[in-house]
Amino acid sequence: MSEQVVVTGLAARSAFGPDTSALLARAFTGEPAFTPVRRFDATARRSGVAATLPGAPVLADELVAVIEDACRVAGDPGPRTGPLLLAAHADRSNAATAADVALRVGVAGGVRTYTAACVAASTAVADAATMIATGRHDRVVVAAGFLVDEDIFALFDAGRVLARDGAVRPFSTGRLGMVLGDAIAAVVLESASSAAERGARVRARLAGWGRCGDAYHVCQPRPDGTGMARAITSALDRAGVGPDDVGYVNANGTGTVFNDAAEAAALRLTFGDRLPRVPVSSTKSVHGHALEATGLLELVITVLALRAGRLPVNAGYLGPDVDCPLDVVVGRPRPSGARYALSVNAAFGGANTALLVGAP
Amino acid sequence: MTGLIAEPQPERRTASVELGPASVDLGPAATVDTGPAVLARGEWPVGPADTLPAIAGFVVSSFSPLVAEVAERCLTARYGTAPAATERTGVVLASVAGDVATTDTVAAALAAGRRVPPLLFFQSNPNAVVGYVTERWGLFGPVVCLSPAGDPYTDALEAAALLLDDGAADEVLVITADLARGPGERDHAVAVLVGPATSRRW
Repeated sequence: MSEQVVVTGLAARSAFGPDTSALLARAFTGEPAFTPVRRFDATARRSGVAATLPGAPVLADELVAVIEDACRVAGDPGPRTGPLLLAAHADRSNAATAADVALRVGVAGGVRTYTAACVAASTAVADAATMIATGRHDRVVVAAGFLVDEDIFALFDAGRVLARDGAVRPFSTGRLGMVLGDAIAAVVLESASSAAERGARVRARLAGWGRCGDAYHVCQPRPDGTGMARAITSALDRAGVGPDDVGYVNANGTGTVFNDAAEAAALRLTFGDRLPRVPVSSTKSVHGHALEATGLLELVITVLALRAGRLPVNAGYLGPDVDCPLDVVVGRPRPSGARYALSVNAAFGGANTALLVGAP
Repeated sequence: MTGLIAEPQPERRTASVELGPASVDLGPAATVDTGPAVLARGEWPVGPADTLPAIAGFVVSSFSPLVAEVAERCLTARYGTAPAATERTGVVLASVAGDVATTDTVAAALAAGRRVPPLLFFQSNPNAVVGYVTERWGLFGPVVCLSPAGDPYTDALEAAALLLDDGAADEVLVITADLARGPGERDHAVAVLVGPATSRRW
């Protein structure tokens, strides 16, 4: 593999609005978008809040809009001959949605939808990067969408993972679970040579990526964090950088007791004695958990934070938890000169991913 | 719309191999020209009397048992008993419609004002049964689930080739599974274990 992978376009829509400006601003101030659910009747559920777009958004329409936005940021690189990789909840309508979106945005290189739960989008990014690194394609568009709906809300309520206090408190004492949130995001990944050839502005490098399984359980993470640690190490090794080079971790941080503890264990395996000096935050604490789309939304935030030289706040934090001895970014955004940042995700089935973002 | 992601390069061809039934030992490597080498295969059903074992914790739908059974048949054909010989084995699960039985059960419960069974929380996602398979066989590679827009087997095999080419896995268990779409149809799934091609041209 010789081709370097860069990010030339990115866009996101969330409960904060149809672009990334308010999203990033609220990630820096730590103000969540959680409000009582009005999209459907949630009064019978243990939790009744989510982070939702206004009105009745349609997934295909939102995906088309965000892909167009990302391509515009990328300098509208002309005929979209490369493939389109989507991430969405496993659904019988996915093939039709994918075909519709591909047709409307003019992608001619084929389309595939990733459905691997909370690593669906980050897995799509890793596959897109592999396509570029191996010379299969010069440019790949990745887009992901999740809109909170009644069925999924009821399932998560039945699974007792939604926070009864309506707040996401990653790595914090007193954390009670997650809050679901809408997200639609897109990135344009490109070979460095292709970007240079057309004079495209490089927003960041996708310096490394890794994915590893836990081989442990249908829905619980391996408590010792070894699967996630291997994914992170794989991403670092691919980039040829060490843990000391990483200046920020945008964590999976769902706010659930066991997941956060397992992630903290994985970060300890990765960073060792340096762990107390590695800034960590989970922006799910403001935008909520966007399931299949969350990895892409968090990648976009990670890129923007690295460019801004400030690290997002881990909202909802009440105090340290003995199982999560991390340098959690709280209170205000932290100035940073980091050259590398990790975006980490994990999912049911013991799936773990790590994306390493490098400054251009 | 073909669903193919990797557009064929002049010197590349995707895997195309005639595979025998699950009980047939395919030998050390039923290689295909430049795609992944197919190491073993499992299928359900094999004959009209074939039965599908239940798996603990999965209810209502036959989707997850279907995936688990073809994985079992394929990996047993290759390794005999668990665990697999290599931990760096990934899993790609492709399903056009997914677990529609679970989806419809949740929708029906909500429509009737009934409680959603808690067990459906995790089995509503295809990752869950993959977690069952990987724990049983000790597979620590990447977990990829897909809704293919075209031919599921071709799409899944291309995803597996990416994992192998990326160095993310030494072998990949590729599963395609879909439930019966109506009367007269049966659930159907196929699993193949693939490894790197012996002669690559890309």
